[in-house]
Amino acid sequence: MDQLLQLTVVGLVVGCVYALTATGLVVTYTTSGIFNFAHGAIGMLGAFSYWQLTVKWHWPVLLALPVVLLVLAPLFGATIERIVMRPLHGASVDVTLVITLGLLLFFLGAANYFWDQGQTRVLPELLASWKPVDIGGVVVTWGQIIIVLAAVGVAIGLRFLFSTTRIGIAMRGVVDDPDLCAMSGASPARIQQLSWAIGAGLAALAGILVAPKVGMSALQLTLLVINGYAAALFGRLKSLPRTAVGGLLLGLLVSYYPVYVAPHLPFSTTFGQLEKAVPMIFLGVLLLFLPSARLRTATTVGRVAPTVPGLRQSLAGGGVMIVLAIALASALSSANLLIAGGMFISALSLLSLVLLTGYSGQTSLCVLTFFGLGAFAMAHSGTSPLGLVWGGLLAAAAGMLVALVTARLRGLYLALATFAFAKGMDVGFFNFKLGSGQSLQLKRFELPLIDTSSEKTFFFLTVVVFVVAAIGVLAVRRGRWGRQLTALNDSPAACATLGVNTTITKVVVFTASAGIAGVAGAMFGAQQEIITPSQFDVLGSLALLLALRIGGINTITGALFGAFTIGLFPEMPQILGHFGVTLPDKVQLTFLLTGIAAISIGRDPDGLGGQVSKLGLRLRQQFGSSSTPAAPSYEEATLVHG
Amino acid sequence: MSTVDLETYVPHIDHQYDPRDPEVALYVDEVSVRFGGVQAVSAATIACLAGQVTGLIGPNGAGKTTTFNVITGLEAPTSGKVFLGNEDVSGLTPYKRARKGLARTFQRLEVFGTLTARDNILAAAEFRRGWSKDKSNPRAVADQIVERVGLQHVQHERVDMLPTGLARLVELGRGLATHPRVLLLDEPASGLDMAESEALGDLLIDLAQEGIAVLVVEHDVDLVMRVCDRIHVLDFGRIISVGFPKDVQADPAVQAAYLGAED
Repeated sequence: MDQLLQLTVVGLVVGCVYALTATGLVVTYTTSGIFNFAHGAIGMLGAFSYWQLTVKWHWPVLLALPVVLLVLAPLFGATIERIVMRPLHGASVDVTLVITLGLLLFFLGAANYFWDQGQTRVLPELLASWKPVDIGGVVVTWGQIIIVLAAVGVAIGLRFLFSTTRIGIAMRGVVDDPDLCAMSGASPARIQQLSWAIGAGLAALAGILVAPKVGMSALQLTLLVINGYAAALFGRLKSLPRTAVGGLLLGLLVSYYPVYVAPHLPFSTTFGQLEKAVPMIFLGVLLLFLPSARLRTATTVGRVAPTVPGLRQSLAGGGVMIVLAIALASALSSANLLIAGGMFISALSLLSLVLLTGYSGQTSLCVLTFFGLGAFAMAHSGTSPLGLVWGGLLAAAAGMLVALVTARLRGLYLALATFAFAKGMDVGFFNFKLGSGQSLQLKRFELPLIDTSSEKTFFFLTVVVFVVAAIGVLAVRRGRWGRQLTALNDSPAACATLGVNTTITKVVVFTASAGIAGVAGAMFGAQQEIITPSQFDVLGSLALLLALRIGGINTITGALFGAFTIGLFPEMPQILGHFGVTLPDKVQLTFLLTGIAAISIGRDPDGLGGQVSKLGLRLRQQFGSSSTPAAPSYEEATLVHG
Repeated sequence: MSTVDLETYVPHIDHQYDPRDPEVALYVDEVSVRFGGVQAVSAATIACLAGQVTGLIGPNGAGKTTTFNVITGLEAPTSGKVFLGNEDVSGLTPYKRARKGLARTFQRLEVFGTLTARDNILAAAEFRRGWSKDKSNPRAVADQIVERVGLQHVQHERVDMLPTGLARLVELGRGLATHPRVLLLDEPASGLDMAESEALGDLLIDLAQEGIAVLVVEHDVDLVMRVCDRIHVLDFGRIISVGFPKDVQADPAVQAAYLGAED
């Protein structure tokens, strides 16, 4: 009984934290329509600013707390809205997703820059000196009580705001109909700005409350909010009371799970290990029970469909690349060959996203999970080159499973589901099967007549695999299948009314894409000869999607650009070092630059590859006889309603 | 300012036909759709016969596109049924209805914008080859349809670069590529000039003569009067008149609906 009470108290406290973070997310989402993946990062920055003020600069808590919660964080949120979000009005889910992901990495990079993560910091609990309270035999600290009080206070405060104040009612109006709201005199932009300010304030509050418990780790604090996604979804991203209930339920579930749930399940040891994956499983189950989304009928506007090279052109391109690879292989040192080979492996995994996201328009945030499964299969294949095949097949099977389970989901919900899958696999599979925090050794596969142990040969081999895959993907794009994928991307509704079973199409493309990522992962394992769980982390998947957006989502050029961006960033300090320029730590730089690039280029959905295509088109128009009409007349299609 | 008295309104059921009549290719049986508090369609009944062009007209917001969405399965009705060739298809998903011979175009364009005009039609022909027993060459089918709807001069242009009127023809061609028994056209003539509109009218009459049941939503009154065998008039979600073009045109209720006259 004592234990039950103890677990209940802990569960409620954790649940209040989930509810707080989720509430912030929902407030922002309902008024602005943007699901802010950077919500946790904002909370993290709030916690670090608070630490800076209280611990470093010795401000009194009663001064620092209002300064962070009521001034800094809301200002920060409002600024983000003004600079980054407002120009996005009406952008597709896909673009807003990439931009908030970019912000997440950017803030993480900024935190790393200002607060060296190598240093240990301690943030004391609020009222730590007060004597803990005994409630029915359970000792409760004042820090925990404050968390509960804060959650209750926020709930009451928001209730008051939305039901009685003028601005709160206007906020609800924006949710229902922004245009109508604008006509009645309220400014939707102002209201959305306010919602970002409130969201940021709530994020900071949650960050400050949990940091003493979780520790002052930028990464941990940023990712903590992810558990709140499940609570937000419980409220269908709309209802605040339901969100709060979802948070509490999840908190209790997480708390009861190891004691009351896992031991009673079959395979209890396996399920016991899944403790950390519980919020993700909760999220996954919620997504499955969402009502089916209507077929999207909006089509993307202003997307450049690049000219797809013909077979001869792609063969020629591949040939040139292989010749270049031979030249590079003889010029570069072994260490640099590893880096260059890594870029082509990244490019191969980006190719899988070109097929999935670029051609067919499905957003996936779990590419590195498939990649990791490929590497895992390679690790268990000894020196047999069949490891590449097993890697591809294992990943393809996982991809098929994900696609079948998520068949009904689209847009943001599909992104969240793949995110939950990636995070769940991260904590529930990779961290066990590869040894938590450790690594798994593997052997490079051997081929007859070819010495794969030489870095030169292996680099060459990597380029060949990439070239073959790229030619294959381009061939698909030109053919019947490519037309079907493009059609699905341009108008799923039209596809369905033409007799296409869009679910099957989606499952097939997911499977194929995961297979490519699996082969890439197997190559990666063989190249590195050692793999660690952190290499397949969900953040890496986000970075890959960003990189491809930067490069150009639907071109091979885009995949190469993207891979080089990712590959070169960490090497920048060294390269610039040759010219006497010193730069901060490489990790920070990766995050910072990726973030900045994503924010700027996220506004141009075509990316660098698109720019190249546009340039080519312009050149042809200028110098060649082109039949392409100059002025496109395009009717913006949104929803079928008459 | 409804022109229909809500209290005394009796659903205007097309008693002339029954969903089981052999000549009925499409039967919309007392379909109602409610969006939150808005009644978009109220017990609308529409019969489309094979070999005829049926018109569905009415002021903006009357519920015509919603009716099309219900027929094709993109939207679920609050109540009512849809019969295709005497078979109740109300429970089927959009793609299964399409495979039973239902095709449509969209008022707000739903073209495959990044493909060329010919590839839009080719893709549809390939889809059909995938799900039907008919294994005729999709390329030949596409070329034939491109010519039939008159898109030869722009067939290699990307569709999002085309003027709206031509893009509508692409959607029509795409629908034809699935060899439909029932073809729903949502404002096919908007954006076309006089000559193009006239050619479209001829095409619709031709299609009907081949045995297709064509249901067309259109604002161009001349076109509707010329091509339609029967007309249903929808106003505020209700069928207020059914009959031959000249009778419908003379119906005071229809005139009131269009002029927005009260009492």
